[in-house]
Amino acid sequence: MGSQAEQRSRFEDIWNDHRLQVLAYCLRRVPGPEGEDACAETFLVVWRRLDAVPPPPRTLLFIYGIARKVLANQARSFHRRDRLNQKLANLGVSPPADPMHLVVQGAEDQQVAQAVRRLKPTDREIVRLDAWEELSREQIAEVMGLTRAAVDQRIHRAYQRLSRALQPLIQPSHSPPVAEEGVT
Amino acid sequence: MTHDQVRQLVRRINPIPDPGILESVDVSVLDMERSMEMQVDERPTAEERREHRWRGPVVGIAATAMVVIGALVYFQTDQDPVAEPAPNATSLDAVEAFEPLAPGAYFADAGETSSIRGTFVVEGSEWLAWPPHGTEMDNSVSLLVVEVAEVYTSVCDADNALVAAGSTAAALANQFASNGFIVREPVAPVTAFGHEGHKLVLEVPDGCYDELFPVWSGGVFQGRHYQGAGQVVEYWFLDVEGTPVMVEASHFSDTSEENVAELQAVLDTLVITP
Repeated sequence: MGSQAEQRSRFEDIWNDHRLQVLAYCLRRVPGPEGEDACAETFLVVWRRLDAVPPPPRTLLFIYGIARKVLANQARSFHRRDRLNQKLANLGVSPPADPMHLVVQGAEDQQVAQAVRRLKPTDREIVRLDAWEELSREQIAEVMGLTRAAVDQRIHRAYQRLSRALQPLIQPSHSPPVAEEGVT
Repeated sequence: MTHDQVRQLVRRINPIPDPGILESVDVSVLDMERSMEMQVDERPTAEERREHRWRGPVVGIAATAMVVIGALVYFQTDQDPVAEPAPNATSLDAVEAFEPLAPGAYFADAGETSSIRGTFVVEGSEWLAWPPHGTEMDNSVSLLVVEVAEVYTSVCDADNALVAAGSTAAALANQFASNGFIVREPVAPVTAFGHEGHKLVLEVPDGCYDELFPVWSGGVFQGRHYQGAGQVVEYWFLDVEGTPVMVEASHFSDTSEENVAELQAVLDTLVITP
């Protein structure tokens, strides 16, 4: 373990190098203050576990792994709150909307988002890491704690399911969507 | 629709396509007040606790093909099959996560500070050392030995609560039997792996699996959750010189007969020693 100053310097380097990517990761999954809180919580864990943080290029993958668990804890709390909200709704009280359901607002995009949400949580996260964070299969395996073979299997199955669910969106008159410039 | 087309559709709904647009968002981690707080906060995090308790359970997964098969094959041998653990066993700690286990004898302790050890023999070639943060593969089987610390009382409900694990094998078995999973075989006395205790077989119901539904914690597992509806989990809750220890073996509905048989072969060699 280095000196306090060395530790702080290293943390600041990690923060400067990866803050935006980790914030984007969190906000892609949970928008608004909850996503920002998750990002802050993630970096607190990074600070506390600084000695365990691997050097580049694995640093960001390690932090994504932490962020994933932080978000899972957050979602678990929200899920239980949501069940309670359902009970309140049955009593005529309107519960707040799930922030994870507010990420995408467009009509057609809603169908895509809904299809993604219907995937198993692990498969859903793999698809997001692939399509949103644009990680390689090896990198996804590291973030998820899976073997490369398991990632291949799950990603194939997930895209098959999505393909079936989204088939109506691709009609002959419907030109295939084009990747946006600058997507990361 | 090709997978690439699907990927493009998913990419299109990326809420934040360019992290650069987040430059103005203040996450407030680096302000001095928070930083000072971080410097004096030496409490172990959940991550650290998990890391420190990494060593311990026997976790192995054999993964190959798929064919539906009943689980009765390995429910039949509840007698104590082996009196002594296999000699010259290798610590499972010496095997990297996800690395295959070479045929031979292995051991692992039921927790970081636990003196209780599970020793078993692997003869097949497809067993892997599986880390607690890993997600079991479809069509696989798994085996672990652990001292359970806490259990969730009602896994599928909003009112779920985390309580201390029962202090006896019977109490622990009854906690699991009432956690909301489908009871395939009720709690019954058993002698297994060199000790007396109770056996229970549960099935994971639909909608109560994955990360949102942890079932218990203990050893390296902060929140052990299962992988899908229909996953069958056999539990042996054993009193090992007064300490309740859990052996857990699971398979999926589509796990191949060969893999289930291989799991049984490993279970037949498993010995728990205090």
